[in-house]
Amino acid sequence: MKWVVLMLIAALAGCSDKPAAKADGTKIENAFHGALQDRSSKSADEALFVEKCGMCHRQMGMGTVILARRMKPEVAMLEARDDLTAALITTAARQGIGNMPRISRAEVSDAQLARIAAHLTTNAQRKAK
Amino acid sequence: MTINPAAYRAFAAAIGKDNVMLNDDDRIAYSDHFAADEAKHQPGAAIAPASAEEVRAVVRIANQYQVPLWPISRGKNFGYGGAAPVMKGSVILDLSRMKKIEVDAENGTVLVEPGVGFFDLYDYLQARKIPLWLSVPGNSWGSVAGNALDRGVGYTSYGDHAARICGLEVVLPDGDLVRTGMGAMAGNPSWQLYKPGFGPSWDSLFCQSNFGIVTKLGLWLMPEPESVQGYDFEFDKIDDLGWAIDTIMPLRREGVIQQSPSIGNWLRSAAVMTTRQQWTKDKGPLDEKVVTAIREKFKIGWWSVQVRFYGPAEITEASLRVLKKAFDGKPVLSMKPAKWTRGDPPEGSPVTGVPVSFPLANANWHGGRGGHVGYSPVLPPKGDLAMDQFKRTYDLYQKYGMDYHASFAMGERSLTNVNQILYDKDNADMMGRVDAMFRALVADASAHHYGEYRTHIDYMDLVAGSYDFNNHALRRLNERVKDALDPNGVIAPGKSGIWPKALRGDRS
Repeated sequence: MKWVVLMLIAALAGCSDKPAAKADGTKIENAFHGALQDRSSKSADEALFVEKCGMCHRQMGMGTVILARRMKPEVAMLEARDDLTAALITTAARQGIGNMPRISRAEVSDAQLARIAAHLTTNAQRKAK
Repeated sequence: MTINPAAYRAFAAAIGKDNVMLNDDDRIAYSDHFAADEAKHQPGAAIAPASAEEVRAVVRIANQYQVPLWPISRGKNFGYGGAAPVMKGSVILDLSRMKKIEVDAENGTVLVEPGVGFFDLYDYLQARKIPLWLSVPGNSWGSVAGNALDRGVGYTSYGDHAARICGLEVVLPDGDLVRTGMGAMAGNPSWQLYKPGFGPSWDSLFCQSNFGIVTKLGLWLMPEPESVQGYDFEFDKIDDLGWAIDTIMPLRREGVIQQSPSIGNWLRSAAVMTTRQQWTKDKGPLDEKVVTAIREKFKIGWWSVQVRFYGPAEITEASLRVLKKAFDGKPVLSMKPAKWTRGDPPEGSPVTGVPVSFPLANANWHGGRGGHVGYSPVLPPKGDLAMDQFKRTYDLYQKYGMDYHASFAMGERSLTNVNQILYDKDNADMMGRVDAMFRALVADASAHHYGEYRTHIDYMDLVAGSYDFNNHALRRLNERVKDALDPNGVIAPGKSGIWPKALRGDRS
């Protein structure tokens, strides 16, 4: 694990001539750019999402890279989804799903998980209106 | 094993009942999600104190009721057992709620609690615009302190994380609290600045051990350099491994190269960015046609290595010339320069300390629920020995039908042959082969008197057993220390093959 990343960045640089699209969160630009995540937030709930989940579910996160294989890459980042429910989010976090490990209550409390779910269901709620 | 319910009541009274987690979901949350049989190392419960004082209270109760605790910092030690204990039924002591960070920006040091992850520390430094860089591992989700204590590695010249530890605060197995190095003097301002202290130095005794619970860890951080320069090398042939190592190692020994270049094979990129089914439907080891297709797609050699220099431009440019000269006239497939200078936009990769998690995607190589286990023997840094090690290991991968996935990391005086054996945990046949191959690999290393630097909870006794000088004298010493510090055997029984007296019969 420790050493794979450098290789990968070099490899991606080699196979892409044009600057890669950022939209799906799985592409990086070249050997010296692009794995840097946007760690910013506009609300307390979003900040909590960034702190607890962003490492895997924002740009170039493990979750984003794998989800891009299973759905349209432009919705591989959870914050781009408009079909998430609080129940699905809670189950995925507590039971794990695919390669995602279970998240303990010490790492993310039930109350924090509810706030993260509120942030991630914003699009779905907007769509329902 | 059964734990006296009175112990849980006492834990709850000490740290709050919400922080004592006893249900089935809690037990599976701390199991090894890379394991085919998660029950094998399933903990009995988890407790999560928020301070060193609460840890001390927990440890005193554990002694009273003979409760084996398995301390974790954040529990992301994937490939080595994750959060799970060696001994089934142990109670996880989860320190992930302890997240204090104290940075000394001027001196380039940090004092972290165990719950601080690499992303947390990165965010902390960025928010305050402190020009210090992290050295991150490929899985930066984990704990800064936990990774250093398990002797994890990163990409920069600060990549030997255990070597950058400077001062610890430790709760001992009897609940006493100690600070090491200069921290042993109350109020001493050099705790994070001077490593040895006075008399014996204790920091390394708490690495990969079960002699205490680290509640604070001092670490040196790299001041942001003026420039980063280097080359990405690709090598076409399998046999290029030997001379490539022999070309780089003299510069590593002299200190011209200060990070640990890691030369690895074509599967490193393919396993992260793609799945196996995208290349072949064939179940056996990948054939030359597939290897060629992967190499063409990613434009890589059989082997690849990145070398980087950090510092003032005058120095990195001169170093680059020395490196280039060393490779003059040698059959390199390609050699691509890389450069970042202060003032450029953030370059955004682990070589400049940006935390990442995407390398973990290689657990999905076989599709479905996957994982990996690390096999990493240490050998002298010589090309012919590396070639020999490669050939023997490669033959075992072929024999057991697994995909070769390995690298050789060049330390100042050693090579660490890091293998990540990638598997599908739902394929029982494959899991049987992985276990058999792992044992064959350890036996092969032992036959050459090579030892591993780190291992999975399943294999701690196996690997500890391979350190056999004078009929396992080191293990006897470790266990004498264990018995002296932890007579009730409450801290991490079995960690690194070190068992407390009462449980030595459990050694596998």
